[in-house]
Amino acid sequence: MEFLLENILNLIGFLVGLGIGIMSLIGFRNTGSPTLFRLTIAFFSISLGFFVIWAGYMAEDFVIQSGNIERWVQTLGIAIQTVGYFFIAFSHSIKSFFPKSSYFRSVGILPLFLVSSVQLEHLFRSVSFILLVYGAIETMLSYIDNKNKGAISVSIGLALLALGEFLGWYSFVFPESILYSVSMVIKIGGLIALFIPVSKVPLTKIKFDEGLE
Amino acid sequence: MAEYRTHMKIIGDILATTRDDLQDEDGATVTYLIRKANISHSRISRILKTLVSQGLLEQVDTQGYNKYKISQTGREFLQAYYKFTSFADNFGLSI
Repeated sequence: MEFLLENILNLIGFLVGLGIGIMSLIGFRNTGSPTLFRLTIAFFSISLGFFVIWAGYMAEDFVIQSGNIERWVQTLGIAIQTVGYFFIAFSHSIKSFFPKSSYFRSVGILPLFLVSSVQLEHLFRSVSFILLVYGAIETMLSYIDNKNKGAISVSIGLALLALGEFLGWYSFVFPESILYSVSMVIKIGGLIALFIPVSKVPLTKIKFDEGLE
Repeated sequence: MAEYRTHMKIIGDILATTRDDLQDEDGATVTYLIRKANISHSRISRILKTLVSQGLLEQVDTQGYNKYKISQTGREFLQAYYKFTSFADNFGLSI
């Protein structure tokens, strides 16, 4: 069951990241906007991260057959995803320069102390969680300013990814529990929520224009 | 509080003015664009130079002073700009 959910999650993550990344790239090529360039890097990284983990599971299932995915493959995939989440958060931090809440600044340090071991995977998961929460809050604040309904969906998507990341991280404390499966279902929901508003952007008549570069 | 406009948004405003809000069919003068786009003379001069060199605006010499009209490339750029503004809005970002 876990293996199936893991495969579905990583495949959806790869496709959603790739889809949004391609749209961002088309936007960047057409407008030259630095924001769209950062979104391109962010979503291609997220897509690549999910793909690395998915490829790891496929290799384990059909080639290695050891019963467990190589730990370094999982860590590498999560690290690449974290780079993507960083670029989403970075785009927001440029807009608002720095989170004004002193509470949020302190939360940024907290999970590093909660890491139970010095494993890189835990470190990347905790950093991803912080970046996703930050992205979700900033996106929700932008909805309050602009009343763009698509921002609610993206904000919920990022929040669900953060919650899924947190539960996945927490499931190490309770292995063999349902927590890890729940975290993957939540993350799948988050990815779908992320893609819904983006899929509604009409891309008719948009083409790569070499003359604008 | 006044809203901060990105460089891209200012370009969008200038192009939108030259497309939808011209003084006459010859185009818009620099003074008219300054008033419509709410931007300083020195800054708009640099932007107009760039937009003309990129082929987004056409510069027309009328009775000793320049007027500006949007080109076909400019129209396509503006269309893309509006579409990707709504795309970025979904992420709570401005392009």
